[in-house]
Amino acid sequence: MVAAKGLILKDGARVAIIGGGPAGSFFSIFASRLAQDLGKSLDVTIYERKTFDKQGAAGCNMCAGVISESLVQSLALEGINLPSSVVQSGIDSYYFHTLNGSIQIKSSRLQQRGIATIFRGGGPLGSHKNAIQSFDEFLLQKSVEDGVTVKHIMVDDINLEGDKPMLYSGGKILQDCDLLVGAFGIKANTAKNFEKLGIGYKIPSTIKATQSEIELGSDWITKRFGHSIHIFLLRIPGVKFVSVIPKGNFITISLLAKEPNINYIKDFLGHPVMKKMLPPGFKAPEKFCHCFPRINISAAKKPFANRLVFIGDASSARLYKDGIGSAYITSKAAVHTALLQGVGEEDFKKHYLPVCKTLNRDNIFGQFLFFLNDLISCVSPLSKSHFKMIQWEQNCLQKDSHYSDILWDMFTGSRFYKDVFLRTLNPWPIIHHWVQLLHLP
Amino acid sequence: MSEDGLLGRLYKNGEIIVEEGTRSRTMYVIQSGKVNVVKNEGGMETILASLGEGDIFGEMSLFDASPRSATVKAIGETRVLVIEHEGLLKKIKMDPTLAFRIIKQMSQRIRDLNSRLSAAQRTINQANNILQQLNKNKDISIEDLDTNLHSE
Ligand SMILES: Cc1cc2nc3c(=O)[nH]c(=O)nc-3n(C[C@H](O)[C@H](O)[C@H](O)COP(=O)(O)OP(=O)(O)OC[C@H]3O[C@@H](n4cnc5c(N)ncnc54)[C@H](O)[C@@H]3O)c2cc1C
Repeated sequence: MVAAKGLILKDGARVAIIGGGPAGSFFSIFASRLAQDLGKSLDVTIYERKTFDKQGAAGCNMCAGVISESLVQSLALEGINLPSSVVQSGIDSYYFHTLNGSIQIKSSRLQQRGIATIFRGGGPLGSHKNAIQSFDEFLLQKSVEDGVTVKHIMVDDINLEGDKPMLYSGGKILQDCDLLVGAFGIKANTAKNFEKLGIGYKIPSTIKATQSEIELGSDWITKRFGHSIHIFLLRIPGVKFVSVIPKGNFITISLLAKEPNINYIKDFLGHPVMKKMLPPGFKAPEKFCHCFPRINISAAKKPFANRLVFIGDASSARLYKDGIGSAYITSKAAVHTALLQGVGEEDFKKHYLPVCKTLNRDNIFGQFLFFLNDLISCVSPLSKSHFKMIQWEQNCLQKDSHYSDILWDMFTGSRFYKDVFLRTLNPWPIIHHWVQLLHLP
Repeated sequence: MSEDGLLGRLYKNGEIIVEEGTRSRTMYVIQSGKVNVVKNEGGMETILASLGEGDIFGEMSLFDASPRSATVKAIGETRVLVIEHEGLLKKIKMDPTLAFRIIKQMSQRIRDLNSRLSAAQRTINQANNILQQLNKNKDISIEDLDTNLHSE
């Protein structure tokens, strides 16, 4: 495909988006709004194969469902305030459970419930029907309010005809596009339709996670888990880390291990540290809602071509954290390029690619930070002293909580990894804390 | 409404969220409830604006770092999301359109102020006209009185 110059979206241009997850909805909302500001009208259609009101995996985009502090704030500024029907719990702190004990960390910057936990679909199997409003459905509704058409159709083929992409479903033409947006996540079959076009696109590589929803009742969850996300660093063989996220009547257990396996969840529920968090006599049910979703561990190759751009998981995402926040960042960057610069390959290369590269480079720092965290958790004396230091910070200090803030920003995804990494290099707080540590009883 | 699903900080009826004259660069977005923006002059409290769900306040100090120009009080139980200024400025640097809504709201407030100002100007003009008319009437009545007295 030859890179073309001067491709722009004219008044009435047809924009199709494959995928109505967060990336697709964000793109459609911000494209419609910017077009309106520019005095243009766009014909925007989202093609989404799922409906998000069903319970269980069929109606869900399967993730831990934590909307980062940073994204909650950005969305509020965009006028997208998450209603209490969508937010299952407002989170104000993290708990870290290690073999040395448990510790609560709060952000020193803002004392508020600034993180939201949500369900991506109509709720876990066995939950009350219609009691839960899906985050993805909420965003799709926002798109519709901004004039976007949502069609629940699976796009099963794509061709380039003339200079325009053409979409098909079941052998029938759906539409031609002045711009086609790939927001299909990491769905391999859809990605193949793009890879075969010879535009140089390649889907990111992934690993499988293990996830489950366990019903404990909202009273117990509020009492035992509070408004906190719980991270377990328990050195369970094969398991990197486990997070437990409170959501109304349920807790979501999200686990990263060597390979996906439901037995890890059962083992975790039987671990003495977790047992203390469960109601007396709790027995894991025979059947519970679980899934093995894929998570990005690298970036896509060449996420653009003439009249084509890939966003969200189909492009670049932050390592292990804030994937929905990455979908927001890449969507907005793609919208700005498409509407303010053009939809040619050169336009995306010049204005969109740098944003993807910023995320990709940041993940290198993320990899290092998670390696450091693994090391600290594995080496007993290190983890003990680290634990004490954070405990001391949380108990005694209000202003200077260097380590706590690093952990907070790393696990909440509130700041870029590079920013967090640079703070780990600051020698003065480190020296200060080690000196203080020596004086600890 | 489930209390669990509410975001931000909770303020009780009458509690001060932002105090006039203090220095802080934090911005707020109302999640639920209402607030009044008030100004205190000579012990008299004037309500400048009433804001509700989704509205933004505290944005002026974000941009000009000056002390707060008014006090903001919760009306009933109110939840506000606190926006940290350092993170926001970094984000606006990466994506300037994030400031669009703040600017739109600020320009809407300038429009509202302009129309309130011109309404106030109209009221002053009307009051002046009435006063002048009254003065004229008073002069005429005195003149009448004067001529009546002299004729007697
Ligand atoms: C275990 C796990 C935990 C996670 N936890 C979090 C978390 O707590 N917070 C966070 O921010 N991120 C988290 N993530 C990452 C997050 O899920 C993703 O980054 C996010 O969903 C990406 O959004 P997206 O819109 O790009 O893709 P998706 O959410 O995957 O949406 C893609 C959509 O495209 C549709 N689609 C695909 N192909 C077609 C087709 N051919 N025709 C029509 N429709 C199609 C799909 O049905 C889907 O709805 C987690 C991921 C995993 C795996």
